[in-house]
Amino acid sequence: MVTINKDAELNFDFAIIGGGPAGMAAAIQAAKHGVKIALLDERVTLGGQIYKQLGRGFKIANQTQLQVPPKIGQNLIADFDKQSISLFLKSAVVSIEEDHLLFATEDEQVSRLKFKKLLIATGAYDRPVAFPGWTLPGVITAGAAQTLVKTQRVLPGSRILFAGSGPVALAFPAQLAGYGANIVSVLEAGSAPTPLNVLGLLAASTGNWDLISDAMKYRLALLRKRIPVKYRTIIVQAHGIERVEAVTIAKVDRNWRVKKGTSKRIEVDTLCLGYGFLPSNELLKLVGCDFEYQESKGGYVAQTDEWGRTSVPNVYAVGDGAGVEGSYIAISRGNLVGISVAQELGLLNLSQAREKAEQFHTETKERRRFQSALRSMFDVKQGIFELASDETIICRCEILTKLDIDRVIDSTADLSVVKAYTRAGMGPCQGRNCQRQISAMVAQRHGIDIADVHQGTPRFPVKPVALGAIADETVSDQKYFFDGK
Amino acid sequence: MENRTHELISSYLSDEVANSELPKESETVVIGGGLLGTALTYYLSKSGVEVTLLERGELNREASGTNAGSFHFQIAIHQLTKSITPEEEARLAGEVRLQLDAANLWHGLEDELDADLGVHFTGGLMVSETEDELKVLRDKQRIELAAGLETQVMTGTEMRDFAPYLSPKLSGISYCAQEGHANPLTVGPIFALRAAENGARIRKNCEVLSITRIENNPTFRFKVKTSRGEILCNRLVNAAGPWTQDLSMQLGISLPMGLSGLHVNVTEPYEKVLTPMVQHIGRRLTLKQSSNNTFIIGGGWPSRVEKFPKRYSNYWASAAGNAAVALDVLPLLKDVRLVRTWSGIWAFTHDFNPILGESKKVPGYHVALVPTGFTLGPMVSHMLAEYISSQGKSNPIPHSFNPDRAS
Repeated sequence: MVTINKDAELNFDFAIIGGGPAGMAAAIQAAKHGVKIALLDERVTLGGQIYKQLGRGFKIANQTQLQVPPKIGQNLIADFDKQSISLFLKSAVVSIEEDHLLFATEDEQVSRLKFKKLLIATGAYDRPVAFPGWTLPGVITAGAAQTLVKTQRVLPGSRILFAGSGPVALAFPAQLAGYGANIVSVLEAGSAPTPLNVLGLLAASTGNWDLISDAMKYRLALLRKRIPVKYRTIIVQAHGIERVEAVTIAKVDRNWRVKKGTSKRIEVDTLCLGYGFLPSNELLKLVGCDFEYQESKGGYVAQTDEWGRTSVPNVYAVGDGAGVEGSYIAISRGNLVGISVAQELGLLNLSQAREKAEQFHTETKERRRFQSALRSMFDVKQGIFELASDETIICRCEILTKLDIDRVIDSTADLSVVKAYTRAGMGPCQGRNCQRQISAMVAQRHGIDIADVHQGTPRFPVKPVALGAIADETVSDQKYFFDGK
Repeated sequence: MENRTHELISSYLSDEVANSELPKESETVVIGGGLLGTALTYYLSKSGVEVTLLERGELNREASGTNAGSFHFQIAIHQLTKSITPEEEARLAGEVRLQLDAANLWHGLEDELDADLGVHFTGGLMVSETEDELKVLRDKQRIELAAGLETQVMTGTEMRDFAPYLSPKLSGISYCAQEGHANPLTVGPIFALRAAENGARIRKNCEVLSITRIENNPTFRFKVKTSRGEILCNRLVNAAGPWTQDLSMQLGISLPMGLSGLHVNVTEPYEKVLTPMVQHIGRRLTLKQSSNNTFIIGGGWPSRVEKFPKRYSNYWASAAGNAAVALDVLPLLKDVRLVRTWSGIWAFTHDFNPILGESKKVPGYHVALVPTGFTLGPMVSHMLAEYISSQGKSNPIPHSFNPDRAS
């Protein structure tokens, strides 16, 4: 790691956006071959969401009393620190233009950073699911709960219900419980694993025993703490006035649609939601790379080749931002990007690159085989996008209900028209919370596939940024003066 | 009122109306479902002219729906040349009179269309930073007053009392109480709705593929081939906004126009501080605080021209330069966050006059295009409708607007 003189011109061989597993692995691999690298992350520390470190200012008095952070994350961060890589923390990339990116830092003017190669490894965020009461205080995402406990050691509440699906619905409650949280119950929307499922996972077990042992560890932890896991059960409503006081849960069918007469009320003070993740693909959309739709990977997923190259020259994408596949695949593919960048910059020849890459290609293949076995069990189904009632707020920035939006959807299938007429998605979250839900509503009303719903035009800034940091007096407007021709 | 507007829009946009079969013939065909096309169709249908409007995509989605919805009546930077000669003064006086007519039209438009169009006369400020710019403010005020538009120039304490939120470094401001804004998303669609009620046929998702003249046919002088079939018409109006030139060239009429993208910055909401909208007499700036309390900042900064149907993309430099001017005028913006940008497409003319009226070279062919389209759009549509519906007997259109002037 090296420190940066902010006045120097920022000019690098390889810029990496995102300091999670994918970004760190790519940086370490490329640095070993002598690539001049800048890594930018908007957080105060490295690690991304999964290897999030304790907040600044914490002193560890008794290491053994801490939950042990993942070894892999610790190793990556330690490895990273040994390399000569320029690290820009608290730096949010707000736009990308041809051969440079623009990033905002606290209280400073937006800076430019030039690159020859770019990796966009921006990770994922919790998949939002709208149901009556989802905007009440006390309803939080799994990611938010993790941030509280990982960085501040704060529990989100004293009677917590966890609702979600997939590996997250096992791992997060177990981890939270490990920090001392009182988890009332865990709801898993998917079915309990059948013998056939188990066989499928075992068939794909090569290279994945660590994942299987993790899963068993989490399941055992829940059993030991007597936390019930209810399969094929989802949250249908959160109740409360000032904050969540109770929830209604219900059994669902194989499409995760509620079965009549199965609903039940439970008193809780916190509802934690983990229905998987959506890729943070805003920058990928902005650079204009080609996408495909893969629901299991979070929806719109950038098309990449085996080296992580997108359809835009010199732009790479791996990690959950390029399709949600988890941290192990992120690390393997991050390494492949690092090798490819070194090769394309002439620091490795092709056969050296191929040789180095072999191990990571194999890892990726094995992990993907296991993932697809998991997906057959936990893939998100249509039912959870049909929970909102007419009065449910869909766009929480602009406070728009389902009915407000449905009125316009009746007459158009174009998301940008919906946005223009309702203001849905124009607020500070920039559509992250409502766009998936509105796309599902459009698809349903017009009988089209969600993959074919026309998405709006990508625009900067990818994160809100103060005008004072954007303003640049050196850009002249004189040439636009009407010359009276 | 908000809800009522939603209902109006959805009742209009119903697929049954706008996507129904294309008629085989129509006395008049208007190409382009933006503000000019919909307003013209409304005024024509109101006078009993049989008219069909053809729109390639959705109504009001291009320039008409991607501007800030302001009406500016003061003489603005883009109308000015470096020095004001007597000829320039005469031209500007003519433009001010047109702007006054437009102001009157906007005043009565919600009644005329019996709908909430979000029309508010908030007043408008034109600011100057240097002494030279202040002189321009005074010169333009003299022309405005002579033409009948009331504006007021203020400096020093008077200026600071009137607009305490503006930078104290400004050399002066000019205020026009008649300026304001409407909702650009509703005006065009409601013109279309009322036109349809008058019997006009509105067809969207109908792209014009070719236009040909029919010789020796007094009833139908044009054949328009579209993606949804052919339509014959006697009179044709080209109101295709940025694409007016492409269509016009099919009839051999080249228009003195060009295209640009316009960059717009939008901030997060902020406490309500700014009622009037603000422009700059010497630099590129338009600024207002919307009814949602966000600041909408633009003023002619470029964006990247792309080929239809791709949307124009933004340059960071435009955001940065635009923000710098805005901060010089309204310093409190420093800590307000930019949340969104958008880009509008802008068709301008080389002499800044509208292109409006019937071609002498191709009788029956009409063009309707105006660079300050939102402010003047309904007004020039009204003028052209008067010309067409009176069979040319009543012609309020100045000769300098004629479509043949470049070819």
